[in-house]
Amino acid sequence: MTRNAFLWISVAILALYFTVALLAPFIAPYGATEIVGAPLQPPDRGHLFGTNDVGQDIFSQLVYGSRVTLIFGFCSALLSVSISTCAGIVLGYYGGNIDEVVCRILDILMPIPIFPLLIVLTTFFNPGVVQVSILMGVLGSIHGIRLIRAPALSLAETPFIEGARSIGATDLRIMSRHILPNLMPVVTAKFVSSSQHYLVMGVGLSFIGLWDTMTVDWGSMIQNAYSSGALSLGLWWWILPPGIAVVGISLALALAGYSLEESFNPRTEVNRI
Amino acid sequence: MIDGHYLLRRIGYSGAAFFVCITITFFILHLMPGDYITNYLLSLSHTIPQEAVDQFYQQYGLDRPLGEQYIIYICNILQGQWGYSYQYGLPVFPMIMQKLSWSLVILLPAVLLGIIIGIVLGAWSGWRSGGKKDLALFNIMIVFRAIPEFWWAIMAVWVFAFYLQWFPLGGFTSISVLISGLNPWDVLYHAILPICLMTSFVATGNYYMMRNSMIAVIGEDYITTARAKGLDERAVLWRHALKNALLPMVTMTTFQVAGIIMGNVFIETVFSWPGIGLLTTDALRMRDLPLLEGIFLLDALMTIGAMLAADILASYLDPRIRMGDQ
Repeated sequence: MTRNAFLWISVAILALYFTVALLAPFIAPYGATEIVGAPLQPPDRGHLFGTNDVGQDIFSQLVYGSRVTLIFGFCSALLSVSISTCAGIVLGYYGGNIDEVVCRILDILMPIPIFPLLIVLTTFFNPGVVQVSILMGVLGSIHGIRLIRAPALSLAETPFIEGARSIGATDLRIMSRHILPNLMPVVTAKFVSSSQHYLVMGVGLSFIGLWDTMTVDWGSMIQNAYSSGALSLGLWWWILPPGIAVVGISLALALAGYSLEESFNPRTEVNRI
Repeated sequence: MIDGHYLLRRIGYSGAAFFVCITITFFILHLMPGDYITNYLLSLSHTIPQEAVDQFYQQYGLDRPLGEQYIIYICNILQGQWGYSYQYGLPVFPMIMQKLSWSLVILLPAVLLGIIIGIVLGAWSGWRSGGKKDLALFNIMIVFRAIPEFWWAIMAVWVFAFYLQWFPLGGFTSISVLISGLNPWDVLYHAILPICLMTSFVATGNYYMMRNSMIAVIGEDYITTARAKGLDERAVLWRHALKNALLPMVTMTTFQVAGIIMGNVFIETVFSWPGIGLLTTDALRMRDLPLLEGIFLLDALMTIGAMLAADILASYLDPRIRMGDQ
């Protein structure tokens, strides 16, 4: 009951974030990089969260910044989970030599640390948000393939798959109509936990300076405020809003992830003696 | 004892993984617009005579065919010649090694403490899984982990260093170092807050895995058997459950520790701690590609090595792994 309540609360919070990101131009009173007032004004009626060191409205930056952050988190998670799911199902279903070869390649690629690699690649290509999220999705999918492959492998041996094959269903149909629906719980849980992971990572990468300074997102807002000494000058309205926004969506995704995992896999929840 | 065939194969995979990393960095360096030498010389002075470029080309072997350059590059990497930083004009490898020692001041105590705390809490929580105390601790851990590392660090600086003034705002030593020289106690005083934060991140990660591992073990038949024999709960916990639950932790903990370097980037950046993390941020802001590649190679080397060690250790401790692998 409480787990279900958590799930619905987090879905509501996510819906709120998406609405804000979609309707950004209608919600934000000013542009993200527009200079609209005196610098470092505390919050008042004209500027809901005050202004930063060059007089940009922090509320507007927060609203527009949600787009970059959400695009990075969800695009990379969607791509990474799609790749792992397709590859995992194909490997698990066909098995044999392809499976053997790909698994050996995965064995080799697994220990390569993704984040330093991502930093090197983005420094080299100097791409935009969408391209980095694609890169992230592709690199991140390596770790998910195994997770999908194992249950797909055991599903491929079950009688109902054999039955489907005996009535002449094509491989594609078996994989998409019979194996995939049975894997949906794992895939959904993986998607939610990956989006939280990538979203936080995106904000973190932007905090350490992955994108150019013109891109307004929550990470660069926090970085700007922090490196300009917003903390030691007591300018809380500059640094708290983007931080609380990140914490909010990350908590919502984490709670959704755990509730999903537990409802699909009751064993982790209660195992009383 | 360890099967030689298995050991060789593991070492082979690890070597191949590092080889892939070197290949990636080689191609990135060679695909760069302009080339390494021109960019490097440009970073040292604004105008460069063509003769100097030609001379450096010859000296660095860039006029040879790509295949030969590739072999030379691999030999150089293996010998510790990792190129020169654009920003500082210094060889990358000694620079990284010097910063690494500063990172280890935070990482070593944090990893050791974090693993112990995480395993103890996780075992306790897993043994009582489903109880009120377990769920309370579990929910606290979810919330703790969902909040990004750099945000914890910023909040810690704000509360403990700015408002309460218990700890310094950042850096690794006080200004008095100019008069009295580097004082270990002073460094420790600056390191306490980052160490505490890092310890809690490592501990939460290990807590989850230990709890899951414990829950999986409790469901096994041999635990039921041990109880049916009439052993008291304490003996079941210590002799049967805990030992088996700890086995998978050997590998899992390495995954954790390997991922820690990225978490360290945020901590070091927020606290201005002069380690690998701050160097990464610095190099990223300056787009110092050779330095970033060096950091990537070092990270890859450490991760690959740690995983190899964990695999060997796990197969040594648990014979079932070797049997299953053959």
